[in-house]
Amino acid sequence: MKKAYLFLTLITLFIMSSCIEILDDITINEDGSGTFKYNINLSSSKVKISSLLALDSLDGKKIPNRAEIQSRIDHFITVFEGKEGIKNVHMGADFGNYIFRLQCDFKSVKLLQEAIKSAVKSEVKGNDDFLGDNVDWLTRKEGSFERSVPEFSIKKVDRLNEEEINLLKQGNYISITRFDRLVKDFSNKSAIMAKNKMAVMLKSNAYSLSQNPSLLENTIYLSPLKP
Amino acid sequence: MKTLCLTLLLLCTTVELNAQKSQDFIPVDAVTVFSINNISLLQKIPLDELIKYEFMEDLQQELFDGSTSGKTIKDAGIDFDQKFNVFYGMNRDYSVTGFSFGIADLNKLFGAFDDFDKVDSPYEGVQFYSSYFNHLMVRGNIGVLLRVDPISTRVDDIADSTWYARGYSYNRRYNYYDDYYKADYEEIPETYDEDTPAIEMEENIEDVYNVEEALEEIEESGDYIIEEDYAPHKNFYDLKDSIRTSLRREYLLKVSKELFIDGQNLRKVDKVLAEQLTHDVEGVFYLDNERNILKAQPFWHYREVMPSLIEDITGLYKNNKIVGDIRLKEHSIEANMTSNYGDALGTIYKELNSSKFDKNMTKYIHKDNSAYFTYNVDLGKAYEKTYEIIMPILKKEKSRMVSSSVLAIEMMNAFLDKDAIFDMYRGGMFGSFNGVKKVPVRQLVYEYDEDFNYTETETFEEQDIPIFTLGFSTKRNDIPDIFMEQMSNMNSEWQNMGKYWKIENAFLNSVPLFIINHGGMFIMTNDENLAVNNPDGFGVNKLTRSQIKSTKKSGFLYGQMNTSKIIDNIPRTWMTNTQIDMLNAMRTKSGDMQLTSSKTSVSKTDFKLVYDFKGEYEDSGKHVLDLVNSLYVIMK
Repeated sequence: MKKAYLFLTLITLFIMSSCIEILDDITINEDGSGTFKYNINLSSSKVKISSLLALDSLDGKKIPNRAEIQSRIDHFITVFEGKEGIKNVHMGADFGNYIFRLQCDFKSVKLLQEAIKSAVKSEVKGNDDFLGDNVDWLTRKEGSFERSVPEFSIKKVDRLNEEEINLLKQGNYISITRFDRLVKDFSNKSAIMAKNKMAVMLKSNAYSLSQNPSLLENTIYLSPLKP
Repeated sequence: MKTLCLTLLLLCTTVELNAQKSQDFIPVDAVTVFSINNISLLQKIPLDELIKYEFMEDLQQELFDGSTSGKTIKDAGIDFDQKFNVFYGMNRDYSVTGFSFGIADLNKLFGAFDDFDKVDSPYEGVQFYSSYFNHLMVRGNIGVLLRVDPISTRVDDIADSTWYARGYSYNRRYNYYDDYYKADYEEIPETYDEDTPAIEMEENIEDVYNVEEALEEIEESGDYIIEEDYAPHKNFYDLKDSIRTSLRREYLLKVSKELFIDGQNLRKVDKVLAEQLTHDVEGVFYLDNERNILKAQPFWHYREVMPSLIEDITGLYKNNKIVGDIRLKEHSIEANMTSNYGDALGTIYKELNSSKFDKNMTKYIHKDNSAYFTYNVDLGKAYEKTYEIIMPILKKEKSRMVSSSVLAIEMMNAFLDKDAIFDMYRGGMFGSFNGVKKVPVRQLVYEYDEDFNYTETETFEEQDIPIFTLGFSTKRNDIPDIFMEQMSNMNSEWQNMGKYWKIENAFLNSVPLFIINHGGMFIMTNDENLAVNNPDGFGVNKLTRSQIKSTKKSGFLYGQMNTSKIIDNIPRTWMTNTQIDMLNAMRTKSGDMQLTSSKTSVSKTDFKLVYDFKGEYEDSGKHVLDLVNSLYVIMK
C-alpha cells in the first residue's frame, strides 16, 4: 500500500501543481510491431516542483524525495522490460528539468498494453481501482487503427479549484500516431494530418482531457501498403 | 457556645470555599499551563462582540450540541470574572489534560455540557460528571474538566507481566482483529469452562466513582486483574483494555483527590507559577522544562540503566522554567517571556551568549528588507564550558557505553583543532528576506515540424523567486575557500568569480546561488545584486543607524519582520491554495513584528515579542479576533 501511496502522491503532486506536457507518440509497422515514446515534461513548473520536493510532507501527505521517485521509476522499468513482446526499453529521468522520457519497441499493441497495465498495476498494488475499466486503448484492425488514452493516465478529478483548473488548462496532452503507409482518413475532427500523410496528431489541454477522456479518441483509416 | 463555634467554623469554611479561585485547581502534574484572564481580556474584547464572530457561532454550536436555540457562550454559565486555566502534564504513569474555570450558574453550565451525566462522587462536596473519557468536577463555584490517560508503556508493562505470569507466551498475543483461534480454546486448561465469567471491563459508569471499591482494589492489587476472574475467551488485547480502564480510574481518583481533598495544586507548590498568576495581563503561560525533560519518555529507560548519570544530567535542568505574559495593548500585542534556568545550564548559556555583536553582518542586510534576524553566540566558549560541566558527570558513570563515549569525546577533544573549528564557525549568523525577484528560469518545450517530428527547444520564462541571504561570522575564510576550490575542479557549475562564487542552478534547480567569502563573513545568497554589485556590503543602503542600534541593543537574538511586505512578497506559485487564501486574508491585518532578547545571566534570559499595528484598527482585541476569524473561515 505504501508503494501505491507514493506513486499516487507523485502523480497527484505533478499533475495538480504543475503545468504538465505529455507527449504520447506511437509508431505502428505493417506487422503490428512498433515503437512507443511517452514523455512527461514538467520543466515549466520546475521551481514549484523543486520547492515541493524540498518539503517532507504537504497537507499531511508525505512527499517522496528524489531517491524514492527514482526507485519507483526503476521498479516500473524493471517490471515493464520483463514483459513479453517488449524490448529496447530506455528511460531517461532528467531531474534538473523534470522531464521523464520512456521509449521502447513492442511486438504488438496488445502486448504493449498488457505490459503497461501490468507495470502500472505493480506500482499501485492494493489499489486496483486505479487502473479503472480494464479496456484497451489501442486497437489495430485491418485497414484501421483505433486509439484513445488510458484512463489511468488522465484520472478525472472531481474537485478542482480555480488555480488547479488554470494549471491544467496550460498543460497539454499530445498524441501522435505514425504509420509506414499513408493515412486515408480519421474520425476525430480535431486531429491534424502530417504533411507526409503518414502521421496524425491530436492535442488537448490537460483540463479538458481530465474532464472528458474521449476527446482524444480517434479511428484512423489507412491506405494499403505501397508495394 | 458549642453552636457558635460550629457556626463560625462553618462560616470560615464557606468563606474559604468561596474564596478559592479557578487557578487553585491546576493539578500538580501539570507541566504546561495557559491561563486566560477573562476579566482583563473581556475588557478588550467585549463578549457581545465576541459572540458575533463565525468561529464563535460554530464553537457555540459544538458547546450546545448543535441546538443553539439562540444561546451564546454568555449563556454557558461560565464565570467570566475568573481565570480560565488550560493545563497539560505527564508523568511516568499518566497524562493529565483539562481546564479549570469559574462557574456563575450551574444549571446553565449543564445546558452547555449536556453530554455529561452525573455519577456517584467519591468526595463529599464535590459533584462528579462524566462523558466518555472526560470528567467534570464541580465544587462550589469552580469547575474542573479533566481527562486522565495512563501512559501506554505503563499499561504494556502491567499487561505483559500479567499475561506472562499466567503462563502464556508471546505467540499467543494474536492480533486484536483476528478471530479467536480455535487452537487457543483447545489449549485452555480444563479447570476453566466457558461459563467462567469474563473480566469485568469496568465500563459501568456507576462503578467508576465508587471510591471504596476502587481504593480497595488499588491497595490489594499490584496486579490489576483478579486471578479468579480469568477469562478463557479474552485475548491479550482484551486484557490490556481492562488494565487501561482500571488504571484510568485509579489515576483519575488520584488526581481528583489531590485537588479536592488534599488541597494540592500547582500554584501552591510552584512559586514561579504563583507569581506569574498575579500578573494583571490578558494571559500567562508556564512551561516547566525541568519536569518536561525529566518525564520525557526516552529518559525513563536510561534512568533504570544508569540512574546516577541521569540524575546528574537532569539536575542540570533544575529550575528550568519558561514563563510569560501576553498583553493586548491598544495598538499592539506583546508577549514577554522569561527563560529561567539553574546555575549549571546558566553558566553554559552565559558563555554561549557572551559573544560580541559582529557589525560586519549589518553591511549585508539591506535597509529595505522584508525581514531579518541576527544571532550572536560564541560556540567556542560554550564548548569549553559545556566540556567542563558535562565531562565530570559522564566520567563518574562506569558503564561500558558511557565510558566508550567519554573516551571518544576526549580523543576528539585532544586531537581536533578546536581553534580552527570555532574560528571557522564562531556562532554568529544573520538571515534576511528581501522580497521576490523575477528571474528567467530555463525550460524545455517541444517544437514540431510539418511531419510531427519534434525537437526539444530551450526557452526562458520569468518566474518569482524569493530572495534571501544567510551569513555566518568567521575568522577563517581560508577553510571554505579550500573546499570551494576543489568543488570547482570537480564540478563546472562551481565558478570562482573573484569576489564571489557562483553555483549554477543550485537554488531550486533553477537559479544560481552565490557565495561571498571574505572579510570575516561567509554568505550564501541568491541575491545577484548583492553578490555581483555589492560583494563588500550594501554601503549606504545597509541597515540604517537606528536599525543597527536596535539590533545591537538586543541580546544574543534579534528579529524583525514587516508582515505586510512578507505577505505581499511571498511568491504565491509556491503555495497551496489554502495557504494563498490565508495570506490574502491576513493582507489587511498586518503590522510589524519585533523579537528582542535581554543579556543572558546565569539565571535567566528575557525575550520580548511585539506585534505592532499602529493606527489602523479599533483595538488589539478586535484585531486579534478579526485575524482568528479570517483564518477560521478559510480553514473551514
